[in-house]
Amino acid sequence: MLRLAIRNLFQSRARLVITAGGVALSLLLILTLDAIFQGVERQVSAYIDQSGADVFVAQQGVRNMHMASSSLPAAALGQVEAVPGVGSVTPILYVTNVVSIGDSRNVAYVIGLPDGAQAGGPARTVAGRGLPRPGEAIIDRSIALKAGVGLGDEVKILGRAFTVAGLTTGMVNLVSSVAFISMEDFRQARAGSDAVSFLLVRARDGVPPADLAARIEDQVGGVTAQTTAEFAAGERRVIRDMSTDLLAIMNLVGMLIGLAVMALTTYTASLGRRAEYGVLKALGARNADLRLTVVFQAMLSVALGFTAGLALTFLLAALVPLTGANLLLLVKSDSLVKVGVISLVIAGASAVLPVVQIGRLDPAQVFRGGLGR
Amino acid sequence: MRLAWRNLIQERTRLALSVVGVALAILLILLLQGFLRGMFQQIAAYLEHSPGSVVVAQDGVVNLLGATSLLPQGAAEDVAAVEGVSSVVPILSQFVILDFHGKKQPAYLVGYDPAIGGGPWDMVEGSEPVADDEVVVDRVLAQRHDLGLGDRFQIMDREFTIVGLSQGTTSWMTSFLFIRKTAAEGLVRVPGATSFLLVSPEAGEDAQSLRLRLSGITGTQSLLKTEMIANDSKLFGKLFSAPIRLMAGIAFLVGTLVVGLVIYTATVERRREYGVLKAVGAPNRVLFGVVTLQALVASAAGSLGGVALAAGAASVIMRLRPQFLIILEPSAVGGAIAAGVGMALLAALLPARIVANLPPAEVFRR
Repeated sequence: MLRLAIRNLFQSRARLVITAGGVALSLLLILTLDAIFQGVERQVSAYIDQSGADVFVAQQGVRNMHMASSSLPAAALGQVEAVPGVGSVTPILYVTNVVSIGDSRNVAYVIGLPDGAQAGGPARTVAGRGLPRPGEAIIDRSIALKAGVGLGDEVKILGRAFTVAGLTTGMVNLVSSVAFISMEDFRQARAGSDAVSFLLVRARDGVPPADLAARIEDQVGGVTAQTTAEFAAGERRVIRDMSTDLLAIMNLVGMLIGLAVMALTTYTASLGRRAEYGVLKALGARNADLRLTVVFQAMLSVALGFTAGLALTFLLAALVPLTGANLLLLVKSDSLVKVGVISLVIAGASAVLPVVQIGRLDPAQVFRGGLGR
Repeated sequence: MRLAWRNLIQERTRLALSVVGVALAILLILLLQGFLRGMFQQIAAYLEHSPGSVVVAQDGVVNLLGATSLLPQGAAEDVAAVEGVSSVVPILSQFVILDFHGKKQPAYLVGYDPAIGGGPWDMVEGSEPVADDEVVVDRVLAQRHDLGLGDRFQIMDREFTIVGLSQGTTSWMTSFLFIRKTAAEGLVRVPGATSFLLVSPEAGEDAQSLRLRLSGITGTQSLLKTEMIANDSKLFGKLFSAPIRLMAGIAFLVGTLVVGLVIYTATVERRREYGVLKAVGAPNRVLFGVVTLQALVASAAGSLGGVALAAGAASVIMRLRPQFLIILEPSAVGGAIAAGVGMALLAALLPARIVANLPPAEVFRR
């Protein structure tokens, strides 16, 4: 019976391509949407992941950087430095603002860095300097390339003119990038307050970041301290919590489309073979065997579609960055498991109609010529 | 025509499945576009309902939602002194991430002076804040997180009590929160800070000329409200249009395949009949017409079904998840039907080739 299923499936190549292609595209819908949001999650925490800090200290109650604001009094720096286990503390200023290059305006996380910052600077500098001096800015290479500027050119940040002194990479996302200026310039542009946004703490060797974060919260009032891993996970959760409902709706539509395609192709294939199934029944084949053939055929089609859908998603993930869009498609294992389960549901449900039809097939009718086409 | 119709309806289950397939593809395309359109309307809601027709922001900032703006000290007085200005409404706004029972909820916090304006425009319950620990939240946001009047929650390092519920102030990404401007200054620890000025021109004064007159103030940038709305839409469009176009493209291909499969199968099954027609003198264009017509009928039924499904699905989604606004515009519906026609024409290509290559004499050899 399994051989029959395979033969049925591969007999019409065009039909097989359409079946596997339809399922592949439906699964591609689900995989791509997941991959886009996974990519956005990865991109949104890129700065934190690459900051080099072990613990992020923020204003009390502030547990995010993206779409958030934090303000700590200058005195917090000394208080955190005094906590046992702290190796170094780098204060940074942060605001979501705009890098203006000529007429183009690019949303960016603007980071103000102190002299000799030990954490929080660009992780990968591809040209020029890694830390900005007063009057200098370090911007993302892709933004510079798009606007046609390079080292030594002028950009405007926080309404002030800066000279591009360095180009970074790896911290850009679909809508924003990261730009670095000196803390001195940042302060002057933002009304000269001596407050800082975050304190980036490095732990002494052997001190677990989670213990250090707890100790900082105990000993310094008015702050929230989180390990870099916790802080980055919180950033990713904003995207996940925001997109859960949207993903659920789109996944359902994608699954229904896949189901319709599979149901159509499985039904069409069984319909075409009705006479053969009738003959098999007349020769003594049991309903259970014939049903198994149909289910196996559906499973095989979906497996082919799943493989093709996966290949297409990886291909898309490789091609999209070449278009210049800062869109990252990331395929993760939990997404594959989900799509695998959906595929099984599609295969099982699509076989229902033909299975019912086979059950009702009257073998005697074959000899009356009622089933052939 | 009759032949096309007969071929199509002979196997009704198959036709129904193909119509469902196309309808689902059209549903997806329409839903995606509807989400985008609804999102644009939701993100423009604040500026559309707030006072003034010109917005003064920090130099370089051209979005309300995209970037944090901090105006130089004294900017409000400088703006008020410009000829033709009728009123100036200062607001201090900032995105915040709220933690509600373990869920992260982004919100756009607007600090305003209730005596001047710039706050919620449609209160459904309660009142505007009179103290610095009071907040107005969106009704949908409150429902989603089981909050009501009198409940307290934390924004950054301070606790606020809900004193009012507003409506029309939410989207699936974020919601608006309204507190007093002095409370917002305390949260960001910058006394007297202002993000934007919402400026109204005097009667008879043209907004565009006022904008030009305001552009001389150092450290600021003046935009028409309509320009700022367009900039916000462009920014969020940049974020969502690429993925949505990608998804819509895939849905289009799926629809094409579904119609293609049905017409292909129907054509292969009727190969002998087409051969007979060719043998008795029917030209290829007549047979192409029959095949294309079948594809068009199947996809037209699917497209119309898809439009109806999308309208139903949009209404169900908005009832179950009121943070979503799905707007099905006539242009999008027209586009979906055009996509259905496109699917049909593409789907007819392969069957048309089969018919074209069919040797008429073969019929008589079998």
